[in-house]
Amino acid sequence: MRLSVNGASYDVTAPAHETLLETLRERLQLTGTKLVCGRGECGACTVLSDGTSVYACLTLTAACDGREITTIEGIRTTGALHPMQAAFIQHDALQCGFCTPGQILAAIALLKEIPNPTEDDVRRGMSGNLCRCGAYPKIIRAVMAAAQAGSAPDA
Amino acid sequence: MPKRFVTTKVEIEGREETKIVELPARNPEPWGEDAELHVVGQRIDRMDALEKVTGEARYTADVHLPGMLFAAILRAPVPRGRVTTLDLAAALTLDGVRGGITVADVPDVKIDGVRLLDQTIYYANQPIAAICADSLETAQRALEAITLEVEREPHAITAEQALALNAPAVRKSGNTHKASPRQSSRGDVDAGLADADVVITREYRTPTALHTALEPHGAVAEWTGGRLTIYESTQGIFMTRREVANAFGLPLTDVRVIKNYMGGGFGAKNGAPHSTYIAATLARITGRPVSCILDRDGEQTDAGNRCATIQRVTIGAKRDGTLTAISVDVTISLGIGGWLSSPAKIYHELYRCPNVRSAETFVYTNTGAMASFRAPGHVEGSFGLERAMDTLAHELDLDPLELRRRNYAERDQDKDRDYSDKRLDDCYTFGAERFGWTQARARTRNADGRLRRGIGMSSIVWSAGGGPPAYATVRINRDGTIEVLSGAQDLGTGARTVLAQIAAEVLGAKIDNVRTVLGDTERLPFASNSWGSITTASVGPAVRVAAEEARESLFDAAAQLLDTEPSDLESRDSEIHSKSNDKCMLFSEVCGKLGDVMISGHGSRGPNPERTAISAFGAQFAEVEVDVETGRVRVIRIVSVHDSGRIINPTLAESQLEGGIIQGLGYALFEERVMDDRLGISLNPTMHDYKIPTIGDVPRIDAFFVDGSDTVANHVGAKGLAEPPIIGVAGAIANAVADALGADVREIPLTPWRVRAL
Repeated sequence: MRLSVNGASYDVTAPAHETLLETLRERLQLTGTKLVCGRGECGACTVLSDGTSVYACLTLTAACDGREITTIEGIRTTGALHPMQAAFIQHDALQCGFCTPGQILAAIALLKEIPNPTEDDVRRGMSGNLCRCGAYPKIIRAVMAAAQAGSAPDA
Repeated sequence: MPKRFVTTKVEIEGREETKIVELPARNPEPWGEDAELHVVGQRIDRMDALEKVTGEARYTADVHLPGMLFAAILRAPVPRGRVTTLDLAAALTLDGVRGGITVADVPDVKIDGVRLLDQTIYYANQPIAAICADSLETAQRALEAITLEVEREPHAITAEQALALNAPAVRKSGNTHKASPRQSSRGDVDAGLADADVVITREYRTPTALHTALEPHGAVAEWTGGRLTIYESTQGIFMTRREVANAFGLPLTDVRVIKNYMGGGFGAKNGAPHSTYIAATLARITGRPVSCILDRDGEQTDAGNRCATIQRVTIGAKRDGTLTAISVDVTISLGIGGWLSSPAKIYHELYRCPNVRSAETFVYTNTGAMASFRAPGHVEGSFGLERAMDTLAHELDLDPLELRRRNYAERDQDKDRDYSDKRLDDCYTFGAERFGWTQARARTRNADGRLRRGIGMSSIVWSAGGGPPAYATVRINRDGTIEVLSGAQDLGTGARTVLAQIAAEVLGAKIDNVRTVLGDTERLPFASNSWGSITTASVGPAVRVAAEEARESLFDAAAQLLDTEPSDLESRDSEIHSKSNDKCMLFSEVCGKLGDVMISGHGSRGPNPERTAISAFGAQFAEVEVDVETGRVRVIRIVSVHDSGRIINPTLAESQLEGGIIQGLGYALFEERVMDDRLGISLNPTMHDYKIPTIGDVPRIDAFFVDGSDTVANHVGAKGLAEPPIIGVAGAIANAVADALGADVREIPLTPWRVRAL
């Protein structure tokens, strides 16, 4: 099958049970997407499938034919961070950083769905992404700030 | 002149050690509270944030070496018994399987008292054998082809079971640690209780809590020319090196341990675990690099935990609230092994009381071993002590905060010595003000509605002075950029950033020109484990000394080039100028002229002050809302005020506070390992069933520091702050729930069914 990841096309022959997480990490060496629970409980492997957030550990690679997958490695445009990445740095919305790729992709998907979220929207929208260091207060700030910057008239 | 060595005391997580330590070459004047600092104290962005937000940071599980194999671990299906048949032959013939090991193949090391891959089974999920293969999936499938037969024997998974008459022998040496009961006392408790106007007696219980770091324990091992390189998710590269070198009979020069990024530790990653020895053994046998990363089940069952405790407390006080006696007997479930963290210690030191006694019984059970977990001992003990204090306040009809103020410990009573500095009273004052404590207390409680609100508070004390040995090197490159080198670890705490700030401050350098390199035993000078909240207070002063030495050389060189005296020079923003400002040169110009003549400095951490306790302090305030129908507790807000000495980077420090508070909230409300009594296995070894806080559980958190610099502690003025914020969170929340319901809370976590039963 052809697997499209971050705008590049890959010829992948994956067994039917192979997850997108395995394909990304082991075949494509895109290790920014993390394995934590492997069963859809923590959100660390969150990637975008046609712009919608999915858990890569619960997504079969075979089911991604014809879809555009975006990982943390794919949101940065040449020379510039994605605004959400910049907001995470600016607001210190990370500590150990292991959940961070998943958090950022979940946040991007959330803002696509709700461009001007309330804090409650952020809490609901991000509640599938666990952070053991407890960066949550600053994740909320970063997402809110990114949303405000994104909706500013000159943006 | 020969260097002088002196003895000094260093306290790590309640354990005090005597060290013989060399006096540093220089001993700078401490940065006092009013010191004029330009980089230290600034909100500098976290230095490793860029690689973390881009996914480029390579964690241990992301290391992929050419030809690397993947290991999987076969674990014991029963909590106690022995292996009767173990045959790897069928597994080893499978396609893609490259090696397998049992106890016969591994070094004779004990982990928490259990021999690596032992065939006597002491707890469920104990490692029995391991396989490595071309892919992780192949290795995992191969485990199923191993023939394993075990004979099950009776087990004990709780302290009560292990202490019962006719209990099975959990360990050959007995079911309690030989130090049990560990006793400690001062004054005369019986006389104190006789003198009391009010005496309360309670039994409190705390759960087994799991660290649940998102990145599990794991290692990648590779042998080259008889030397072993290990990439490890560890809080202690040098400790790991020492343990691995001992196990394999290697000189320290032949083992290199690298930790660049790690996905959380929280105390559980302090030496070489099973996975390290397994990876190294399989790599040696196969001649290929081997990655051995625990799966989530392994991480949640065999990678450490916070001990469950039962605390039987008696406290006496005079009518005015003055404490007269504290007595506590604690039963601690260690699991199969671990060390003796002390839940009783906080009873001895937090509040002033002349008569205190404790006895701690450390019990072995057929479950995974404990490991340090953020402020081990204090977090457990604090819950019981703070509940007892609130119960006493209720009996005496006193404001709980006032009761604590009336029993303010001016000195370290436990060891009869002064504190280097203590600003807990400021924490009370500012915290109560920010929280609106007095107004909130005056509000009438809704005793009938479905949603009931309550408030509670607690206090924090934690030994956080750090100490030697710790070393750092600072070197300045020909382009004027600066490297800070130290064998410490950044767990996500911000150590990289904080150490760079200290170096930039001393050198008068732009922070953007400074880079900190940590986590490599082969290339970096020694620093100890990143545990016990010690890194900033230990390595920080060493970095300062190293930077002072480098600055002296830099100024000497610049003085030559500028035709002036070094004493006439100052630096700021990577520019050196004379005091009259008529001469100036950029660092890059000075160093460019020197070319490859390197300017560097070496620094070490000096001894701690004698007979002085160095502790961090703080106060926690919580407001909760309890739904009496569902039993659900919602924490509405937390105000948390800390005395941690000088704060090097307020943003990163506040992140640490918030993180500790949120972990404390999980401990108070949800987190407990649940075991099946009959089978002796964990019922919730997943992240769904072992619930840690989500973003939806997080209350409004107002966490901040009181101003100060602890100039007695060390010349940077900083104390540790990673562990203190988790202390007292459970007590404050439990006190708030008790206040909301007018009920006594004696056990955490406050899950809905426990709250409903109140």
